[in-house]
Amino acid sequence: MKIWVVIFAVLLFSGCGTSVERVDSDSTIDLSGAWNDSDSRLVAQEMIQDVLSRPWITDFTTRSGERPAVIVGTVRNLSHEHINLKTFVADMERELVNSGRVDFVASKDERGEIRDERLDQDLNARDDTRNAAGQELGADFMLSGQINTIIDAEGKQQVRFYQVDLTLISMADNRKVWLGQKKIKKLIKNPSIRY
Amino acid sequence: MHLFRFLATPMVMLCLLYLQGCTAWQINQLSAELPAVGPEKTLEKLEDIDPPDRDRSKYLLNRGLLKFYTGDLAGSRQDLEQAKAIMMSLKAVSLSENFGALTTNETLRSYGGTPSEQVLVHAMLAMGYLFSGDRDGARVEMLQADVTMSQLGDTESVSGQLASVRFLAGLVYEMNGELDDAMISYRRAHQIIRARKEKVPEALASSLLNVSLRRNNENRNDAEYQRYVSEFGREASLPGAHEGEWIVFYHDGVVTNKTETRLLVFDPNLEAQISVVMPNYPPSRYQTRHLSIKVGDIRNTEVIEMIEQRAREDLADQSAKTMAAATVRAITKYQMVRKARESGELGGFLANIAGLLSEQADVRSWNMLPSSIQLARLVTPLDASVGIVAKNVELPALNKLGSRHYGVVLVTSLNNRLLSYPPYEGLESIEGQPNEQ
Repeated sequence: MKIWVVIFAVLLFSGCGTSVERVDSDSTIDLSGAWNDSDSRLVAQEMIQDVLSRPWITDFTTRSGERPAVIVGTVRNLSHEHINLKTFVADMERELVNSGRVDFVASKDERGEIRDERLDQDLNARDDTRNAAGQELGADFMLSGQINTIIDAEGKQQVRFYQVDLTLISMADNRKVWLGQKKIKKLIKNPSIRY
Repeated sequence: MHLFRFLATPMVMLCLLYLQGCTAWQINQLSAELPAVGPEKTLEKLEDIDPPDRDRSKYLLNRGLLKFYTGDLAGSRQDLEQAKAIMMSLKAVSLSENFGALTTNETLRSYGGTPSEQVLVHAMLAMGYLFSGDRDGARVEMLQADVTMSQLGDTESVSGQLASVRFLAGLVYEMNGELDDAMISYRRAHQIIRARKEKVPEALASSLLNVSLRRNNENRNDAEYQRYVSEFGREASLPGAHEGEWIVFYHDGVVTNKTETRLLVFDPNLEAQISVVMPNYPPSRYQTRHLSIKVGDIRNTEVIEMIEQRAREDLADQSAKTMAAATVRAITKYQMVRKARESGELGGFLANIAGLLSEQADVRSWNMLPSSIQLARLVTPLDASVGIVAKNVELPALNKLGSRHYGVVLVTSLNNRLLSYPPYEGLESIEGQPNEQ
C-alpha cells in the first residue's frame, strides 16, 4: 500500500518544480510557432550572404576604388505578430560588419549620441584627442525592408507564411541595386485537449 | 462519526471554493463602484486581490484596462498580452476542468472570455500601441483581431463580430496609407451594423465616403461611392490642403455585471422539480451619454458598439449549452442527495447543503469594459484647436501634434485623462471630478 502512495506522490509532484536547461544559443527550439530567435538569425544570415554575393558590390568597388558604406534604414513589421525587429536588425548588422566587405555606418539614433559626445569632446577633451565634427562617413547604400505574413487558420490548425523583403538602394541616385526575399512557412497544430 | 469524516474533505473543499468565489465577488463589486470611484482608486484596490489561477485572465483583462485608463500604457499592454495568451491557451478542452464543471459548478473552468472579449482585447491592445506612438504595433493587433473574428464568425451569425474593432482596423490602415485594406475593414463594419439593424454612425459614413472616393482617384462616378452617397444622402467631405481630421473615441460608463438566477426545471425521469442556477444579466439601466466636442459648432459622438448589448448576446448564445450542463449537474446532485438520505437523515441534509453551496453560476466577465464605445470624425483646420466640452480640455492643433492629417484621441467618462495619437503630454483637465458630465 505504502509503495503506491509513494508512486502517486512522485507522479503528482513531478510536474511541479521549475526546471532550467541551458541550450546552445544557435539551437532551434519552436514552442508556439511564432517568429523566434532562430527565424531572426537564419533569415538575417541567408539574406546578408545573398546581398554580399551579388554584383552591386564589385560594380561599386571597381567604379570608386573603395568599399561601399552601408546603413540599415527602417525595417517595418507588417506581420501578424509583435516581432522584436531590433534583434533582427542587429543580426543583419553583425553579418554585414563581420563580412569585412562593406563599411558600416552608425544608425540615426547612434549618430545622435556620437554627435553629442563629439560636442562634449570639443569642450572637455585634450586637443590631441579631440575628434572634429564634419568628418563622418556618408552611406552609399541604404538597406530597408519589411516583414509580412499571411495566416490561414481553421480549427486547431494554422499555416503561417512569413515573407521578408529587403531592398538595397543607392543613396546617390535612388537605384535599387538588390532585392532580397526570404520565405518561411510553418504549419502549427494546437492541442485539442489539455489536462 | 464515520459520516463526518467522510464529508470533511468535500466540506473543506467547498469552503475553499467559497473563499475563491469571494475574490470574484470582490472584483464584481469593484466594477460596480468604478463609475463613482474612478479607475485610479479601483486599480489600487484591484491590485490587493490575488485571484485564483482559473480567474487570472479576467483579472488581467480588468487590470490592463484600468492601467490603460490611468495612462500606464506599458503596464496595460503587458497585462492584456498575458490575458490574451491565457485565453488562447484555453481553447483546448481541459479534462479536469470539464469534470469539475460537470460535478461541481461552471466556475471551475478557467476563464477564457466571451467571443466579444476575445476580440476586444485586440482593440484595447491596438489602442495601447497607438497611443504609445507605435502605429505598426496597433496594425499587428488589428491583423490578429481579423484572424480571431474570422475564426469566431460564420456566414449566418454576427457573434464575435465587432463593428468598433473593424472601424479601428480601418483607421489604422487608412493612417498607414493602405486604402484598400481600410476600405475592406470599413465595409465590414458597415455590414455588421446593418446585420444588427443598428444606426450607422456619421464617423463610419464619412470613412466609407472618403476612402471609397480616395482609393478611386476621386472618381465620383465609382459605383460603390455612389451607393454610399445615396445611402447617407451626402457627398464625401475630404479635408482640404490646410485641414486634417480628429477621430474621437469615447468610452462611456461601465458594463453591467452578470448576476445569478435560480430556475426550477421539471425532470420527467426523476419526476421531480430540480433547481438550477444560471448566469443572467439584469435589464440594462445604462443611459447613453454622448460626448460634446467643440469644432466651431458643437458635435456629439455616436455609438458604434453597445457593449451592454454584445455582452447579453454572448450570454444568450451560450445559454442552451450552460442550461444543459447545469441540468445534468443538478440531476447528479439530486441523485447523490437521495442516496445520502438512504444512509440517514443527517447525511441527506449535509449532502443537500453541499449541493446547494457548490452550485454557483459563472458570473465572470470582463466587467470593467465601457457600456458603449462611441466615436466622431471631425475635419478641422490644421492650426485650430478642438474643445472637449465636458472635460474642459482643448485638444492641440494638429500641426502642433506633428501630424499633418490625423489626430486620434480617447476620452473616457471614468476620469479626465485623455490619450492621443500622436502622443501629446498634458492632455488632462485640471478642474473636474471623475464622471463629471
